[in-house]
Amino acid sequence: MVAVVTVSILAFLLMHAVPGGPFDETRSPLPPAAKANILRKYGLDQPLWVQYGRYVWQALHGDFGIPYQSPTETVVALLARVWPVTLLLGAVVVGISFTLGLGLGILAAMRHNTWLDNLLTSLATLGMTVPNFVIAIWLIYILSIRAHWLPTGGWGEARLLIMPAVAYSLQPLAVVARYTRVAVLEAMSGDYVRTALAKGLSPAQVVVRHVLRNALIPIVTLLGPMIPDLFTGSIFIEFTFRIPGLGKFFVTSIFQRDYPMIMATVLLVAVLWSLTYLASDVLYVLIDPRVRLGARGR
Amino acid sequence: MSVSRFIAGAVVVLLGFLGPGVLGATTNAVGKPLPADAAPPEQQVITGLTQPATTLDFFVSVYKRPQNVDGNSWSNILSTPLVRLDKNFNLAPAAAKSWDASKDGLTWVFHLDKSLMWSDGTPLTADDFVSTFRLGADPKQAWDFAWFFGDIKGWNDAVKGTIPVDQIGVRRGSDPYTLLVTTTVPAPYLPGMMLYSPPLQAKALAASGPFYNTDPATSVSSGPYILQEWTKDQRIVLVANPKYSGVRPFIQKVVLKFADLKTEFAAYQANEVDVAANFSPADLQVIEGDAALRAQYHQGFGDFRTYYVGFDTMHPPFDNLKLRQAFSHAVDRAALIKNVIKQQGRAAYGFLMPGFPGSQDEALRSIQSYDPVLAKKLLAEAGFPGGKGLPKLELWLRNERALGQAVGNAIGAMLKQNLGVEVEVSNRETKLFMDELNGHRLQFYIVSYGMDFLDPANMLGIWLSGGRHAWKSDKFDTLVKTASSMVGNPQRRLAMFHEAEQVLVSDVGFIPIYFVTPGFMWKPYLRGEALSADKIGVTAWHWPGWDGLSTLHQSVYVTKDVSKFRR
Repeated sequence: MVAVVTVSILAFLLMHAVPGGPFDETRSPLPPAAKANILRKYGLDQPLWVQYGRYVWQALHGDFGIPYQSPTETVVALLARVWPVTLLLGAVVVGISFTLGLGLGILAAMRHNTWLDNLLTSLATLGMTVPNFVIAIWLIYILSIRAHWLPTGGWGEARLLIMPAVAYSLQPLAVVARYTRVAVLEAMSGDYVRTALAKGLSPAQVVVRHVLRNALIPIVTLLGPMIPDLFTGSIFIEFTFRIPGLGKFFVTSIFQRDYPMIMATVLLVAVLWSLTYLASDVLYVLIDPRVRLGARGR
Repeated sequence: MSVSRFIAGAVVVLLGFLGPGVLGATTNAVGKPLPADAAPPEQQVITGLTQPATTLDFFVSVYKRPQNVDGNSWSNILSTPLVRLDKNFNLAPAAAKSWDASKDGLTWVFHLDKSLMWSDGTPLTADDFVSTFRLGADPKQAWDFAWFFGDIKGWNDAVKGTIPVDQIGVRRGSDPYTLLVTTTVPAPYLPGMMLYSPPLQAKALAASGPFYNTDPATSVSSGPYILQEWTKDQRIVLVANPKYSGVRPFIQKVVLKFADLKTEFAAYQANEVDVAANFSPADLQVIEGDAALRAQYHQGFGDFRTYYVGFDTMHPPFDNLKLRQAFSHAVDRAALIKNVIKQQGRAAYGFLMPGFPGSQDEALRSIQSYDPVLAKKLLAEAGFPGGKGLPKLELWLRNERALGQAVGNAIGAMLKQNLGVEVEVSNRETKLFMDELNGHRLQFYIVSYGMDFLDPANMLGIWLSGGRHAWKSDKFDTLVKTASSMVGNPQRRLAMFHEAEQVLVSDVGFIPIYFVTPGFMWKPYLRGEALSADKIGVTAWHWPGWDGLSTLHQSVYVTKDVSKFRR
């Protein structure tokens, strides 16, 4: 809560400290009267502290203002329209990268130092280093322009998800696979693994019952923070594939000095991060019985 | 059954027997007969990409309308302005059948076409224009283009809020089909400015407010198309207006997809759009290397945009004329075009591009010609021999993409090489740049300007003192102001504009660099009179493009060849 309020004050001050406003002076300076009219219309003629106070008061009542970029709706309505698009794509990407990434990571760890491990590790390195826009451009070139299998972009049909999901998933998938491999390998060197193997359990049973649970803690720590990023959208993926999601508003809001949308996007990210850290902490407790909030030692 | 019905029925049956040859050409959804080589009506569709928009209407917001390049807007199509532009940039009557000025040149009378109707059946009258202009001047509306009509009587006072909007000089005449526009000074260019008069409907404005055209339920059109669908952030679909009494279009459906324009060329290659106007240097290379694509690439004027180097001539060091002259002779435009700009522009020696009314580019050529020896000499005379004594200069660019940055770097390199002057090129965000420029705090920069209306009064007017440039010449001010409002002597008027531009170039108020000649691509299956060469041989899609302010949309159609492309 404190974090969110601090972030909102900082964002508010920073965005008003930058020159320009929701008026267009790309051709000539506006006559003072015309500019004053615009400032008055958006309430920007008031002192900053009044503007902030008014913003907070209205926000507490669920009114986050009217986006300057889309004055026919409210900020809340705009978010309700575009965020689900980003969430859907984000969910698909999280789904792909975490299931495949975990699977491939475990596989590589179990086949440690074999050709399969080397191959997967090399692919993961490639996935982490090749930026998603390069992959996106290649996908469009091959699948749309050459083969005419898929449209270059758009939204509203399942097939339109294919290229963005692939381009967007590769990097997180590679990250998940690499962390999983390392975490599993480290867990496998534990004494309890030797014990379990000595008990006669098969390696697969050991991994599922003992290793994974211990390997999950570093994975959750490292990968949890990837989720807010994925759920707020990639500007580039959304631009490239013409996806009407939230991602682009992080950029357009700033360039257009769309103050209500800047505040909304900043607050959304702040809240998402706070929730993610909270969720990670809860998950630790669930995964590892040794972690107890307020425990006074054993 | 009445006799007339019986006869009509008999004629239909008879024609049916004789076959479609007698019925003549196929017609599209609004009854327009299609040319013989046209594709079937359902394929008379055009699809384009545009940056996201929140309105199609000029008087709601100029900068929030769709656009896919300077010079091709997809707007104002739900309305009929007083006049339109044809491909030779002549004014063509639209909502006004004719117009004339009063003797003192202060009042223009527009005689409206009585056959024009809104799609809801209401006639289009002077009252609609009056309401629209009042909206534009309304301080509460805070229109982003309110500066433009400052010559209309009472306009600026209404914008300030000191007089009510019903006192501006836009009024109904003796009948509902006569519109009077009064200006503060004689304005011979007023009919040209009235290109920007696409009216909103008085009734719809009163009932639903200025955004009524963003929802098919409240939308009403006096133009060639009506709104069928508007899905925010995704697309707009327009279909031909069956109630339109002007020239009906062949294209019966227009689909505008909202997108980042960097994706346009890929969509064009994948046959998802019919036109494209945004090309990265990489795209241009692809086009150059492909004969089929090259044949679809047409170079045009765009919005007659001039790129130039500007200075703060009010403060040192650029208050020194010799220094500015030295810089102006150090720029090798020919090399710049050959190596950097290529087909995207042509060398500029003045501010008005050839093809723009009043252009005299050739006559100005010698004033700032490339002459490195002279440049060095002038630099020394200015007190900075070999660049010594000059502060390190920062050349600001206004949010330029690849080409603009390359031009900035090339100019920096030329100044270094020819004058020994150190220049750091710095690409800045638009709003920050404009805040500094308009505040006259920018020392040294490259920026561009594209015209608002086709008269030297517009392009030269931005150099009047008090505008965005830190340059001032009383002689220039007098010439431009006098010529702008001169009625009845077009030759004298033109001579004064010529003299003014001469003053501007000789005083090195700026260094003209290049005129933008943007490329425009359209698929070979698009045909029409508007796409053929104009009077000076230019074929490209002319400003303002697919727009209610242009006649372009009237003649374009899709030929049968489309079957080879669209799937």
